[in-house]
Amino acid sequence: MVHALDEAHRTLEPGAALIDLRPTACNRRVEIVSAGLRHVIGEIDSSKALPSYAAAEATVLAALAARQFRLEERAAFEQVIELDSPADLREYAAGLRRSRMPAQILPRAERMLARDPSASIELRRATTITRYRKLPAS
Amino acid sequence: MAIRDDASGEERQHLLAMMGSAPGAVLEIGCGSGRLTAKYVALSARLVGVDLPTALPAGGNPAFPPQSYIAAASAVALPLPRAVFDLAIFAHSL
Repeated sequence: MVHALDEAHRTLEPGAALIDLRPTACNRRVEIVSAGLRHVIGEIDSSKALPSYAAAEATVLAALAARQFRLEERAAFEQVIELDSPADLREYAAGLRRSRMPAQILPRAERMLARDPSASIELRRATTITRYRKLPAS
Repeated sequence: MAIRDDASGEERQHLLAMMGSAPGAVLEIGCGSGRLTAKYVALSARLVGVDLPTALPAGGNPAFPPQSYIAAASAVALPLPRAVFDLAIFAHSL
């Protein structure tokens, strides 16, 4: 079966690079940032996406085993989405596929932003970025 | 009301560090609406974006410069020749 990394390998010059940027955690942590402090108020549940995460990892491992690419460099960080209001949070969560925001998160955000109108909402998710190098066909 | 993507700037910072200063011809697989493209487009001399027709904006991808090329295609059947790119990027698309 041809997969996306086979096609990328075909279209790359010898010795070219491939960058893979993807989350390593399904769920997004929801935090309220108020007066310099972070308060975790829950997580947006995207566990239904777990099979696709596992499939992506298996695809990469297969390409490494087949010596199509070698791992050159990897970095981990948290992807951060900043939102001004609970309405923004509702809108953002509604646009996420295969995800569910627990019912208690929105009222919590509303209460905390009512107490501190200068507070903001952050969504955080563990992410990795990896650079691979194309290996010549053996 | 606002939604700010990559508010910490870390995604852009790591991406640019991984790309290096002159990536040459770049293929972005899963370019979608150009959210990531906008972060590196200034570095790329030649840019091709690929995504499924349903993932591409109707009016074109605003992050792509006019001389770039966008293909509506699957990542497993790229309508592109062999050995032409210096860098391929998968952003949340493997």
